[in-house]
Amino acid sequence: MAVALDPAEKRRLFERLSSVREIVFGVQDGVLTTAGVLAGLSGAVNGRTQIIMAALASTAAGALSMGAGAYLGTRAEVEVIRGELARTRQEAAAQPYVLQEELLEKLAGEGLTREAAYRVVKLLSGSPHALLTTVEAKLYGLGSAGGNALLDGITMGAAFLTGALVPLLPFIFIATVHAGLIAAMATTALTLFTVGYFQGWLANRERCWLSGLRFLTIAMSAAAAGYLIGLAIAPLGSVPSL
Amino acid sequence: MLKPGDVAPPFDLPCAKGDRIDRLALRQITTEMLVLFFYPRDFSFICPTEVVGFHHRIAEFRAENTSLIGVSVDSAESHIRWIRELGGIDYPLLADERGEVARAYGVFDETKKVALRATFVVDRRREIAFAMACPLNIGRSVSETLRIVRAIRTGRLCPAEWQPGAGFGPLESDL
Repeated sequence: MAVALDPAEKRRLFERLSSVREIVFGVQDGVLTTAGVLAGLSGAVNGRTQIIMAALASTAAGALSMGAGAYLGTRAEVEVIRGELARTRQEAAAQPYVLQEELLEKLAGEGLTREAAYRVVKLLSGSPHALLTTVEAKLYGLGSAGGNALLDGITMGAAFLTGALVPLLPFIFIATVHAGLIAAMATTALTLFTVGYFQGWLANRERCWLSGLRFLTIAMSAAAAGYLIGLAIAPLGSVPSL
Repeated sequence: MLKPGDVAPPFDLPCAKGDRIDRLALRQITTEMLVLFFYPRDFSFICPTEVVGFHHRIAEFRAENTSLIGVSVDSAESHIRWIRELGGIDYPLLADERGEVARAYGVFDETKKVALRATFVVDRRREIAFAMACPLNIGRSVSETLRIVRAIRTGRLCPAEWQPGAGFGPLESDL
């Protein structure tokens, strides 16, 4: 028999799950970018060490860039939300009836009779805090403005790095470019399929393998496109081997 | 929206009078003046300040031989429950469920399907003597409505910010 989570535990679970966005995005981007770089350079460059150095540089730049992007993005989001919440609180203090009326209209629009909605809002108004948090969640779709910019940045950067290592490590440890590229593509495919499958599992999908297959298709398309572009630009300039 | 000098459109609608449902027509109003105020809906957080505000000053309106009538698109049954919620209202609330009266007075919001927050003072000739409307989220001043009624009843030229007991401007015939 399934045991229902208590609301506080469920809230913490949702907060943890919100990191899935950073993890999935970071891993996917790390795998795809690095696989694309490896495939592209393998088509354009002959030197194996040169390819590895370029891929390592791309990985470092990608991880730092993605981490910084996630940090700045979350920070900006949190600041905007906090500003909006402060404005709402000032409005609530000065004109509580305006928010009460807006909440009433919202509840009435969601199926409550006007009279029932009035009574719900009136009861909520017994606690200004309860009224305010309900207005924020119900009218503005805002939860707590507790996004952690640093955590999001680190998660995204680490996820990108992890993803990037997947195709990079076999390429580093296998002696020939051709065999290394095949191994990198195989681990990339396996990883992306697994990430897609995992995402499908989190979303309670019945056919998780479809999610995995979608990730796999995107990865292979990106890698193939990268390889073809590398082949196409190779004649434009000769890059000396190391 | 009707303006001063227009004939007040007649009405004959169900209404809530205290705890009972009745009908009320313009022709049944026997007082010299009538304040007809439209409000959007029962069970709201802005309207009660006006509905209750008029209730608290009803004696002063009656002293000016003036009736008060509230109008919204809610049913008479809803008005009765609303009146109970507010602890009793000493004047009738008209049930203009199809918005006919609000349309006749030019104050029906066709988008929201409610009456605007509008006030009309109807004089003894049953013509509009005063008309005003304000946004749905702004409550009206009961004191100002009472001041207007008193000013109209003087039949004199009342300067800005005129209050009962204050001096008058020149008679219209002097202008």
